[in-house]
Amino acid sequence: MKLKDEEKMVTEPTAKTNQAVANQKDYKDMVFRTLFLLCALLSVLSVIAIITFVFSKGLKPFFGQNAYSLTDFITGLKWDPGKEVYGIFYMIVGSVLATLGAIVLGVPIGLMTAVYIAEIAPKKIVALIRPAIELLAGIPSVIYGAFGLGVIVQLIKKVSPTGQGESLLAVICVLTIMILPTIITLSESSLRAVPKSYREASYGLGASKIQTIFKSVIPAARSGILSATVLGIGRALGETMAVMMIAGNNIGGLPGSLWDKIRPLTSNISMEMSYASGRHQDMLFATGVVLFLFILVINLILIRITRKMGNEGSSN
Amino acid sequence: MKRNRRKIHDSILKGLIYASTTVTIGILVVIMGFVLYKGLPGININFLTRMWDNETTIVDINRNPVTGENSEENYVESLGITIALEDENIIIKDIEKDSPVEDGLNIKEVPYELKEKDIIAKADKVTFRDITVEEAVAALNEGTGTIRLKVTRPGGGIVPMVISTLYIILLTLLIAAPVGICAAIYLNEYAKPGKVLNIIRFAIQNLAGIPSIIYGLFGMLVFVQNLKMQYSILAGGLTLSIMLLPTIISTTEETLKEVPNVYRQGSMGLGATKLQTISKIILPSALPGILVAIILSIGRIVGESAALIWTAGTVAQIPSSLVGSEAGAATLTTKMYWLIKESADLEAATSIAVVLLALVILLNMVSKLITRRFLRSRTGK
Amino acid sequence: MKDITKFSVKDLNLFYGNFQALKNINMDIYKGQITAFIGPSGCGKSTFLKTINRMNDLIEGVTVNGTVTLDGVDIYKEMDAISLRTRVGMVFQQPNPFPMSIYDNVAYGPRIQGIRKKNTLDEIVEKSLRQAAIWDEVKDKLKKSAQAVSGGQQQRVCIARTLAIEPEVILMDEPTSALDPISTLKIEDLASELKKDYTIIIVTHNMQQAGRISDKTAFFLTGEVIEYGDTEQIFNKPSNKKTEDYITGRFG
Repeated sequence: MKLKDEEKMVTEPTAKTNQAVANQKDYKDMVFRTLFLLCALLSVLSVIAIITFVFSKGLKPFFGQNAYSLTDFITGLKWDPGKEVYGIFYMIVGSVLATLGAIVLGVPIGLMTAVYIAEIAPKKIVALIRPAIELLAGIPSVIYGAFGLGVIVQLIKKVSPTGQGESLLAVICVLTIMILPTIITLSESSLRAVPKSYREASYGLGASKIQTIFKSVIPAARSGILSATVLGIGRALGETMAVMMIAGNNIGGLPGSLWDKIRPLTSNISMEMSYASGRHQDMLFATGVVLFLFILVINLILIRITRKMGNEGSSN
Repeated sequence: MKRNRRKIHDSILKGLIYASTTVTIGILVVIMGFVLYKGLPGININFLTRMWDNETTIVDINRNPVTGENSEENYVESLGITIALEDENIIIKDIEKDSPVEDGLNIKEVPYELKEKDIIAKADKVTFRDITVEEAVAALNEGTGTIRLKVTRPGGGIVPMVISTLYIILLTLLIAAPVGICAAIYLNEYAKPGKVLNIIRFAIQNLAGIPSIIYGLFGMLVFVQNLKMQYSILAGGLTLSIMLLPTIISTTEETLKEVPNVYRQGSMGLGATKLQTISKIILPSALPGILVAIILSIGRIVGESAALIWTAGTVAQIPSSLVGSEAGAATLTTKMYWLIKESADLEAATSIAVVLLALVILLNMVSKLITRRFLRSRTGK
Repeated sequence: MKDITKFSVKDLNLFYGNFQALKNINMDIYKGQITAFIGPSGCGKSTFLKTINRMNDLIEGVTVNGTVTLDGVDIYKEMDAISLRTRVGMVFQQPNPFPMSIYDNVAYGPRIQGIRKKNTLDEIVEKSLRQAAIWDEVKDKLKKSAQAVSGGQQQRVCIARTLAIEPEVILMDEPTSALDPISTLKIEDLASELKKDYTIIIVTHNMQQAGRISDKTAFFLTGEVIEYGDTEQIFNKPSNKKTEDYITGRFG
């Protein structure tokens, strides 16, 4: 005890220096805390910057002297920069139809594949399929474009009444393929997140495996599947390079059938970006603004759904 | 009766499930098959090791006779090389040891070493067109002292794109990784629930949903035009950095979340500051996850085209500066796009696609490996 | 031996938001003794333990009023949490070795205080592991992961890790609740051994444990200290009916 007291006499002053060191540590912590915060705020800044710059350039042609009519732009059915005609309504229709088609095909196929992986396939097969899906997700969109051009467009050319391969149908096919990995991965994880007790309860009531999956598991995972769908819509709408190579990119007119050419919004931007200048360039940004608005709405819906999912999760 | 109907119903659904899976896997197989079938024939050593464009140089060589070891046909003694006729061009077939062509100087007096397969287009005043090999040998041996050669080094290779891709990966990660990791640290370790956190999360979610073509527009407007960087690797890297922030932040945040809270308490209980706890305990534990985030990002950079074409350009050159006209660079993917769109050369494009696919597969495997290692160390085995 | 006050707690109240978790606590804790906090779960004993080294600073929405002094110095007003925690170490309920080697675990505290010399670190590590009575078991595997040894050994490594920062007080938050009986006995022996040099405060829901090793015992109920005194007195003739009910209820 006595010895301990002596020790204490010695340690007393160091306790004070400890205090000084601690203050220094506090200061350092503050500096880094601020640095971390700034990094996090950079994402906010980026969103603001992107919106400000893209919108201000994209909205410029509709204001001031010699302004282009916004109505003509939104409802126009012809795009001819040489004649100062900028109408994008047929592009909006093309983008929406292509996205719709991809969702109608991609969601069921993707969901069924996810069901197979999550509920039916033996572990060994899952170990084979999963890397395949990951690979599908990792393939650059230019390669999908090359595939679309080299295979899908050629096939369509053979059967199409127009004799033309580049078409709405080709775009739908490629977009379906491109959103599959997103749909599959997200659906699979939401299927897996369904508690075992749901399945047991269903089996306990005499349901077969398939009935259990379709009546109990899929309904329980519906918000996850829904958010997968919305994410798929976003990807399909925003896809550029692959689509541009196979859409045909006509200069006007609404698509009347699956065989017709379309000119999606993204295509319109990328087709002419490399040489456009002046008002023409501004109009491409204006197309970007319209695309952006679509995406913003989709983002908001997605955030809504995920937030709702989070709430459901915590209340359980 | 009812049982039977249920069975039929079940079988139909089951059939749909199997059919869908087959379609999904089938698509992958067909795509791979297409790319390999079209692209593999174009892949050879020249494709992998050469520059993209032909490179023509005027070279002065101080002639110094070298005796050929096995005095082959068409041996040019004064230069120590063997030449041959290939596709109507005179090419260097073989170079002897200590040949003077190894010490050539271009017109800027910078050393330029001739290599095998280089095409000799002109020697002093003799143009090598419609010429026999014998005539060429004679022309090269004529006179003494310095001879001026016009040499074309054939291109057709992807080396500049590979290097540019590497540069852009490096540059992007150098910017995005520290920022993204720091942001994730803030969100997971410091941020308190409230307005600021909500705004940041909202921003990140939105950033993640913006299509890459919009990033391309933004990058072109701000970095290329307003900041006068021109098509450059820096403009491309900055654009991609913003695009990748959400991926890096959310993947890192997920791994930080998985670091057990008892580690934090244990460290704080020993008198460590928050910063010490983060740098000594949390980050090391989260390292594998952060690595996976980085590999994911590399995959996206490798595959990106829309955000790069109008920020880094499509010129096949090895960039020699960060901004300006020497800094434009096509990555493998943007060059592939360019080949399809501008020169309708699907064969060459799919050859690049083969390389891209190999890269994507490699990256996927590495991230798998890390995850598996990580899981093993987590379970303490 | 005269009791020397180490901690003095006056009129301490603690709130989680609007919920009052600790009510008007007054208590002196003495140097060189083992003080045990007992009581049913949710009674505030662990919360109180965490106020003593300000671990509750890390929890959102906690407000504390009243004073806690260590050697007469107010730990909330006159001391910063970091240097307080180097003087008042803590051992947690679940053994929580860091995912690094045994050596690095024990050397963690000294290192963050800026000790870099290998020899000094070696000495500290060996001394701490010896004090924690685990040196002989792990001396050949210091470079092995601390998570690869048994739960009881992990907890003693964690104790060694705490000892390595040379604290004056060691707080133990149900240190044996995750351990088997044999490991529990080892930790108890260790605690009795350590009180020669350290002041120890232990939270436990194991009545026998409190009886076996502590000098003083405090009985907590719904955020209040119902009774505090010599362990012998608390266990044999408690003056409060509730204490008696709790103790006999557990024993009977």
